[in-house]
Amino acid sequence: MIRLEKLHVRVGSFDLCDISLEVPKGGYALIIGPTGSGKTTLLEAVAGHARLRSGRVFMHDDDVTDLPPERRGLGFVYQQYHLFPHLSVRDNIAYGVARNGRDSQRRVEELAQMLTIEPLLDRPVRGLSGGEQQRVALARALAPKPSILLLDEPFAAVDPATRLVLRRELRELHEREGITTLQVTHDFDEALRLGDLVAVLSEGRIAQSGTPEHVFRYPNSAFVARFVGTGNVIAGTVQRSEAGDQGGAFRGRFLGGNLALDVVAEREGPIHAVIRPEDIVLSLTHHPDSARNHMEGRVVRLERLGPVTLVHLDVGRPLIASVTTASADEMGLHPGVPVIVAFKATAILLV
Amino acid sequence: MLRRPLWSRVVLAALGACLVLFVVGPLLRLLWESSPSSLVDALRDQELRASIALTVFTATVATVLAALLGVPLAYLLARRPFPGRRIVQGLVDLPVVVPHPVAGIALLLFLGRRSPVGSTLAQLGLEFVSHVPGIIAAMLFVSAPILVSGAREAFRGVDPQLERVARTLGDTGWSAFRRVTLPLAARGILAGSILAWARSVSEFGSIVILTYNPKVASIYIFDRFTAFGLRAAVPAAVILLLVAITVFVVVRVLQPEERR
Repeated sequence: MIRLEKLHVRVGSFDLCDISLEVPKGGYALIIGPTGSGKTTLLEAVAGHARLRSGRVFMHDDDVTDLPPERRGLGFVYQQYHLFPHLSVRDNIAYGVARNGRDSQRRVEELAQMLTIEPLLDRPVRGLSGGEQQRVALARALAPKPSILLLDEPFAAVDPATRLVLRRELRELHEREGITTLQVTHDFDEALRLGDLVAVLSEGRIAQSGTPEHVFRYPNSAFVARFVGTGNVIAGTVQRSEAGDQGGAFRGRFLGGNLALDVVAEREGPIHAVIRPEDIVLSLTHHPDSARNHMEGRVVRLERLGPVTLVHLDVGRPLIASVTTASADEMGLHPGVPVIVAFKATAILLV
Repeated sequence: MLRRPLWSRVVLAALGACLVLFVVGPLLRLLWESSPSSLVDALRDQELRASIALTVFTATVATVLAALLGVPLAYLLARRPFPGRRIVQGLVDLPVVVPHPVAGIALLLFLGRRSPVGSTLAQLGLEFVSHVPGIIAAMLFVSAPILVSGAREAFRGVDPQLERVARTLGDTGWSAFRRVTLPLAARGILAGSILAWARSVSEFGSIVILTYNPKVASIYIFDRFTAFGLRAAVPAAVILLLVAITVFVVVRVLQPEERR
């Protein structure tokens, strides 16, 4: 278990502020954020490399805030792996358990087998491929049986095919060894595939945290919606269209980005509307339905992603809808085709 | 590589060849002047043997002292930003631009019996002027910058993240240094030490002022030259040259390819 309480870290002129996060025992959490959002600094703070200005770090209910890195019992895999260039693969893996003599060799063999790097054991680390280095770095971090594993963009430097394999292996390894894992990534897709918990970091603060599905479906800000790729984000304002002030949700009118939309809102004033591509219904002719928002548009471009096709539309502003590739073909969608665009008032998320 | 016109390559090669010949020519001439038998004869000379032994001994002590004091400093300069780092860096490099007789006079004033430092050390039994410690002090003064800058570059060449990795694998700061940074910097530190050692062996200007007697090899050669002329100085000069070349070759072999 990792618990961070109101961490404040300053590196140069960069501040990481008010970071609170709890990763349950055996959980897999991901910190995602764009470059420069403070992701690596956060991991360094958890590892004990960065000095805290305030806040506490707990591991398994022990306050480790004042412990140096070597006494925190964690494994850390760096983005660039940082294998020790003067040691063989075997000695790299054995580095953290070298004092254990014969047991250490058994552990090295076991991990090498698990990660399929046995043939590499007696090679120098120079000349290993990215994927091989990654496996060696992982084995080295796991050798001392840490209860916590920190991963800094572990798949950034390997090719996409290797990435898929490593990702699956890592998840299996995580389940087998039951290690509480905290990983940093800039790729929300990775969070959806790997994580039980995700925290979106923006300019040194946690913008939102929760299960990956929840964050994806219900982003709490335009930043998160854009970053995780929820869908169309439109800036505008909400006006109340019903009389009365009974509190809670009310019917309103959203004005922004050349659009006027019927929405269900909880507050008035400047706001962002988020519309998921899969909630937008396309048709070639007008026909009555329950959707409150209808508009005419034109297909600009089709983006085929296997079974799903993203339809880039012009409705007075750009809008992206997703349809199954089969129905895109059935409707004969291609650039220039006029379409009717419809979505429900309740499908518009206001953040 | 950029292709240059023929005439420009010829001019560049000719200019370079002039300098190489100017460096190699005198050394070859010196070696030519001596015969194996004259070298053996020279080595029979008790005074020459003693001066070479003294030179090797004092240079080794000076290098060990420079390493003990200089390697930690080099690590600080390479790794830790501290207030005044640039100033300390400048002070360490300063002896490089001080003419060696000037260094000798400065050391004489600092370590002589009339100075507070010199008289205190003399009371403790450590005499510099006209004693062996004077030779070592002069050698340390001129060679320490070479060792420190060599070691500093060696430490700079080691990725500081590696120590962080070692810390997460259970090492204390000291053992991470000992198991990772030091082995990776060792070649560079050793090369810097050998260069500093060679610099000490070749020192003349400051030693001649501080401690003329007992004579190190460079002073012995100078002494032979002024007292008995050129022919008497040659065999000793050749022997010192051979010692220097041997050391030079060792350093070249130790240094990684890309830094040569």
